[in-house]
Amino acid sequence: MKKYVGKRFLTAVPVLLMITIGAFIMINLAPGEPTDLYITPDATVQQVEATRRALGLDQPYPVQYIRWLGRAVTGDLGISFSTRYPVLPIIISRLGPTIVLMGTTLLFSYIVAIPLGIISARKQGTWVDTFLTGSAFVGVSIPNFFLGLGLIYIFAVQLNWFPTGGMQELGVDGSIFSVLRHLVLPVIVLSAFYIANMTRYMRATMIQVYGENYIRTATAKGLAQKVILTKHGIRNALIPVITIVGTDLPRLVGGAIVTEQIFQWPGLGRLTITAIQQRDLPILMAITILSAFVVLLANIFVDVMYAVVDPRIKYD
Amino acid sequence: MSHWKKRSKYTTLLVASAALLAACGSDDVPDMEQGAQADGEETGTTPDVSEGDTSTLMVGLTNAPDSFNPFYRPGVAATWVQRFFYDSLLFMPTADSFEPGLAEMTTEDNQVFTVTVNADANWSDGTPVTAEDVAFTLNTIADPAVETTLGTSVAMIEGTDASGVREEGLEELSGLEVVDEKTLTITTKDPVDLNYISEFLGLNVLVAPKHVFEDIELSELPNSEAATMPSVFSGAYQFVEYDNNNYVHLESNPDYYRGEPEIKTIYAQIMNGTSLITEFQAGNLHMTAGGGIGMIPVQDIGMLEELEDVVVEEHPSFNSQYMIINNEKYTDPQVRRAFAHAIDRETIVENLLGGHGEVLSSTYSSASPYKDTDLEPLEYDPELAKELLEDAGFDFDTPIELVVPTGNAVREQSGNLIEQWLEEIGLTVNQSNYDFPTWLSMAQDLDYDIGLMGWGHTADPNIASYLQTGAASNNMAVSDPTMDELIEQGMTETEFDARYDVYSDLQKYMQEQMFVVPLYSDSQFSVQSTSLNGGINEYWAGSLYDVNEWTIDPE
Repeated sequence: MKKYVGKRFLTAVPVLLMITIGAFIMINLAPGEPTDLYITPDATVQQVEATRRALGLDQPYPVQYIRWLGRAVTGDLGISFSTRYPVLPIIISRLGPTIVLMGTTLLFSYIVAIPLGIISARKQGTWVDTFLTGSAFVGVSIPNFFLGLGLIYIFAVQLNWFPTGGMQELGVDGSIFSVLRHLVLPVIVLSAFYIANMTRYMRATMIQVYGENYIRTATAKGLAQKVILTKHGIRNALIPVITIVGTDLPRLVGGAIVTEQIFQWPGLGRLTITAIQQRDLPILMAITILSAFVVLLANIFVDVMYAVVDPRIKYD
Repeated sequence: MSHWKKRSKYTTLLVASAALLAACGSDDVPDMEQGAQADGEETGTTPDVSEGDTSTLMVGLTNAPDSFNPFYRPGVAATWVQRFFYDSLLFMPTADSFEPGLAEMTTEDNQVFTVTVNADANWSDGTPVTAEDVAFTLNTIADPAVETTLGTSVAMIEGTDASGVREEGLEELSGLEVVDEKTLTITTKDPVDLNYISEFLGLNVLVAPKHVFEDIELSELPNSEAATMPSVFSGAYQFVEYDNNNYVHLESNPDYYRGEPEIKTIYAQIMNGTSLITEFQAGNLHMTAGGGIGMIPVQDIGMLEELEDVVVEEHPSFNSQYMIINNEKYTDPQVRRAFAHAIDRETIVENLLGGHGEVLSSTYSSASPYKDTDLEPLEYDPELAKELLEDAGFDFDTPIELVVPTGNAVREQSGNLIEQWLEEIGLTVNQSNYDFPTWLSMAQDLDYDIGLMGWGHTADPNIASYLQTGAASNNMAVSDPTMDELIEQGMTETEFDARYDVYSDLQKYMQEQMFVVPLYSDSQFSVQSTSLNGGINEYWAGSLYDVNEWTIDPE
């Protein structure tokens, strides 16, 4: 297993390299000259050139890329076009809030959704199942900007139970309780989708598993329902669920763009939107590479988890 | 991992969330905090407006500041924020009056201006503000090696070329002479209007501390720590921290030469227009930045007017919207005037802006003291428009490419109406939508027929950068000797009345030639809590002149 994981990490290196090339080409193919956004209407040709030089855009594309790569391997991801701050600290300062938001959301969603999916499957065809399936349908369908604004209006503006946005009160050395208060509404908004999604998957796989012969055999052997559920039912149903978790993991860094905007959450989602609007290419490069890295990491994690859950799967 | 240690709340939550990416931390992450609080002192108390905190001002901004470099301020938000901590030589409380700021400026002949720096003015590190600082700032802006957005502001000084760059062969500007520690003379190439130099040089230029910047290699200056994380200030406030795209934190400057500010802490928070409204409704904001950087969607302004503890004031804006025309393609003024007659601009103002704006007759809105109030906008007359096009032998079958940038809801909706109105007179119009950076590139390449564009004006009417032949933002290929002459004349007249006459002629000529179709200017709103004494006034750009006197009433 260790050898397999090591090999996967090694193969990830050339993949990441290819992604940097692809990302660089894609980002630079985007129409619109970044320099235009960092000059004033009265700028002269010389002033425009000075800005191009300062941003490193006066060099041919291959030179720009090689320079970027040369610095990137040493941990220097360049300087943001819009603020002239180093990119890496900006990304790191945004990564924390996004992981907190999405991590809490995913964890909360799984804790709620997996039992609901199981209950829904075991009560198939009853009013409980109909209610849960109906709720899941609503959760998947409701646009998060609508839900977000609705919750802000009711719970922040009218009732004043929760803050309207941000991650903590400004000017106060943030306590964990302050962050938790700010987390409640955005986590509810984001969880609405993830709970609904996971409930549906869990329900479907549990129904499928309970149709398998080994469940019938276990029941015929006279095993207790609880044992059948935990030892045979859930364990087998988790295999496809791991795939869903794997696809959710990259959302830890990029899954909350709209919600971050609505709740002024200082995360990567807001940064991404602003960077696109401002053609802040070094920030966009960094976010793209980070996202790619997390996807690769999530894939390796999922493959490893398959082997943990299903003893039939072995990696040489 | 030190980054995460500093942010223990993250760490705890990360563990709780079983987050997998904590390894992304780094030991060499620089801290973006500077200035007054860099030594780790406490940063104040909970600034909840509803709890009656009178020492912390919460401001809402819709645009993030893109620079803290006094020599380079591409965005309006950058200038607005920098005004809190870097003072200009003069203040401009209204569109036609000036007050001494860091200095006084006097002249006897409109060509030699004496700048006398305030005797009490010191930098926040105790160093006196001197005439050398002023000369250094102006020389640096004019240096060809420096990345600057302020060339126009110094272009009148002797020793610069037309774009404000120092002439070859000179080491320093010949028009600057430091007389003594606090006195400097500025000699201009030609006599200029005192108001013109007062606004362009006196107000626009923020004086930079020479002792901080002088040792920095000019090519390195924009990316230097001094320029990105300033630490020495002349203004009422001191820069503490910029949390990227989130908020700017400022603390009062106790040694401010005009008196220490009453309000000790300011947070300028960056948020979208919708969040501005909910934050006001929840009582979390004292004011919006106003102007073009605290934009509340005009259709939502009524929601704020309903709030008891919020005051909403409407002022005419310098920002105006135009339908720009590719003059290389549409060379006949009759055709361009026909476009103007075909567009019902009154409907745009009444229906899309809810009456919160005005139809433009020519280049300037009523915010400008130079607007020719006798000049009426061209009437909406689709029949006349059609006749004019037919007379001009216009080809109705060739489609017209209309480009509408995204991001401004009213402008996008007006694009749909314009397409409809032009089609009503028999034209074929293909509308395409692009994000603003793409549209800007297209406009500069003249890759369009007609398109929608906003221009930001100042109190001074100089419009050379948009309409002079070959100017940087002349994206319409306007090249007209009469227009160039009027622009030159406007720049060289030294008295208000004489300039007014020139610009009046310019506005009439613009309407005749219709190089661009002036559409509308939407009102700007100042929105602030009733507890705030001070805030944005009618002349937005000069509103911070008395920020040290603003107070917040206890609830």
